Amino acid sequence: MMTEHVWRYTLLGTIFTLLALAIVGQMVRIQLNPEQVAYFKERRTLNEGGYHTIYPARGLIYDRYGNVLAGNTKVYEVGVELAWVENPHTISLALNVVLGLDYKQVLQAVSQEPSANAVYVVLSNFVPQDKIDKLESYRKEIEQTYQRSRDKDRPSLEGLVYVPHLMRSYPEKDRASNVLGFVTMEGKGNFGVEAKLDRELAGSPMNVWIPRDPNLVGQIQDIPEGASLILTIDRNIQKAMEDLIDNAVDSNGADSGTIVVIDPKTGEILAMATTPRLNLNEYWRYSDVFKGNTPFNRAVSGTYEPGSVYKILTMASALDKGVVKPETEFIDTGQFEIGGTFIYNWNRGAWGPQNMTGCLQHSLNVCLAWVASQLGAKDFYEYMRAFGIGHLTGVDMEGEMPGRLKSPGDADWYDADLGTNAFGQGVAATPLQMAVASAAIANEGKLMAPHIIRSIVTKGQQFDNQPRVVGLPISAKTAKTLTDMLAISLEEEASDALVEGYRVAGKTGTAEIPTPFGYSSNVTNASFVGWGPVDDPRFLVYIWLEKPTSSPWGSVVASPVFRQAVEQLVVLLQIPPDDVRMKLTQH
Amino acid sequence: MERVRNLTQAYSQAPWRKQMMFIGLFLLVVTFVALVAGIYLDVTARTATTGREIQVMEEDIEALKLSNSDLESKLASINSMEEMEKRARSLGFERIQMNEAQYIVVPGYLSREHVRLAPPPGPVKAVAAALPTTFTESLFDWFERSVLPLRSHVLEVRK
Repeated sequence: MMTEHVWRYTLLGTIFTLLALAIVGQMVRIQLNPEQVAYFKERRTLNEGGYHTIYPARGLIYDRYGNVLAGNTKVYEVGVELAWVENPHTISLALNVVLGLDYKQVLQAVSQEPSANAVYVVLSNFVPQDKIDKLESYRKEIEQTYQRSRDKDRPSLEGLVYVPHLMRSYPEKDRASNVLGFVTMEGKGNFGVEAKLDRELAGSPMNVWIPRDPNLVGQIQDIPEGASLILTIDRNIQKAMEDLIDNAVDSNGADSGTIVVIDPKTGEILAMATTPRLNLNEYWRYSDVFKGNTPFNRAVSGTYEPGSVYKILTMASALDKGVVKPETEFIDTGQFEIGGTFIYNWNRGAWGPQNMTGCLQHSLNVCLAWVASQLGAKDFYEYMRAFGIGHLTGVDMEGEMPGRLKSPGDADWYDADLGTNAFGQGVAATPLQMAVASAAIANEGKLMAPHIIRSIVTKGQQFDNQPRVVGLPISAKTAKTLTDMLAISLEEEASDALVEGYRVAGKTGTAEIPTPFGYSSNVTNASFVGWGPVDDPRFLVYIWLEKPTSSPWGSVVASPVFRQAVEQLVVLLQIPPDDVRMKLTQH
Repeated sequence: MERVRNLTQAYSQAPWRKQMMFIGLFLLVVTFVALVAGIYLDVTARTATTGREIQVMEEDIEALKLSNSDLESKLASINSMEEMEKRARSLGFERIQMNEAQYIVVPGYLSREHVRLAPPPGPVKAVAAALPTTFTESLFDWFERSVLPLRSHVLEVRK
């Protein structure tokens, strides 16, 4: 009996041994074959997980007090998992009704046979929550109605999927739109700080390995979100200035308007209001709002000949060089010849004996051309460069233009240019350049770097942008002297710019507009630059009204806008009237 | 010596005793291996379950982040200048005019400061690993890490 079974046991043992040997042999064969090794390694890697590009959430933009100016809102990508689709007609009909998609196109896309190359189809993107809620309610209704139906063609939204993601949103709509810029659906920043700090705001997309093995979950990298920005803008001041410039443009029939408000001591931009503005949540209407070559932000991109507001820079340079003093007398004969060209006053009149304050008060071109000639071309242009004219200010916004300052040595510079440049003709600058240069006079001769980004918040830390002095074009004494001269000239002129209870300094500007056929006499650029309170400046306001039709004069159209701006600024910045402030300081 | 002889005789007379001894030894080994395998399986299963829970939580975190961003934007819209002004006006408030403001001295009053959303930069702190190795290593890893160094330590002591 024993021998009878031995051969069976032996056969069974042999088979098992051979099987084991075959397995071992196969293992050895695979291990020794590099192609097989590579193949199986690849298969293993594919099954272990996959690489996914992760886009971090775009950083937010706040005003200086933490009000959100640019945020992110949840939207959905709507698509279909082809393998799960039960009824393509229902999906096509639902998307046609709710999202307005073309029925036939959707039907064609949804009816595809699922394959290795066709697994998922995107049908629509950036769909808002309310539309998704509507689709979901349809889905529930259909499920409830047809849940017991065994009909093969029963209506079904099975296969329809919604993938949530973020889209840029601007809760203040068009408020500060010229400063912020916008982000397209592709996630790219355009204009303003959105473009200038696009990379920082967007963060760094990373190709990350996502393992399927739960044991390796700890290996998933954390993707840091984009940096958030805190701007120097005060939302309240921005709104007040935007309302003001809108009214000024309407009431004066101007083509456009710009107001820049700067803290002269720090270079912080408190408000920058321009027209036109765009509701940033509908950025695709850009070409409807900005027709032709209209700049997105005139304050940094709109260069123009500033006219008489430029005279304060000429006077500052001459005073600083010691060429003239406030009491220096000039006899205005109504014309001044320089480089073979005659310079005339704005009214073509002769104003007789004037001191330097009088020259500024009556905005005499002849006097300022004479002052520039006393200073000389070399010093004049050196001072202008020191004030930053003809150079980028380096403000942290996209699209800044440098303007143009011709100087001796340039092919198109002539001796007569010294005379015309002295009163702001033949020189191109942006409102921001003019505001920054003027702010140096308000700030004891210190030229501050203009900036709109107060802080950057990234990786749990807040990095503050400290005020920077970028030049000392004039001395503190000159700055004080000129400020007093400008304050007196406004007071003696009984200007519309004067604000009851507050001493302010300022200068109007009316500039003819250059055309291919010479300067136009009937259309002008009206400007005003002013700051206050004179003894402790807290704000500088620069105003530009383009081609006003109510009056061509800056003193008529721009001066009242300055007064209205200051009347609001003193409330919003909590600046008491001068006499009250003096009393409070003595306490 | 006599005792050994008696034992040998006993096993020769009853060979099943020898078989029982081998079977007992074999079962002991099997039990030990099963015990180790059981513990290993239990630990692995628990690790996998926890890992899966973490994966689900990560997905929840992502969904919550999206919702937070969305809610923050909605709140910003509700608090926008336009909306706030509408509400203020409906409550009977009017914008203050320059000559309506009264200024008084308030001891200790600090004017409005700009917002601080995060602390200023400080010294960089090294971040500790989220999970100790005890939760991630296998039994063999543990054996290699803990037991093998002991062996070399013993050998050194012997020398």
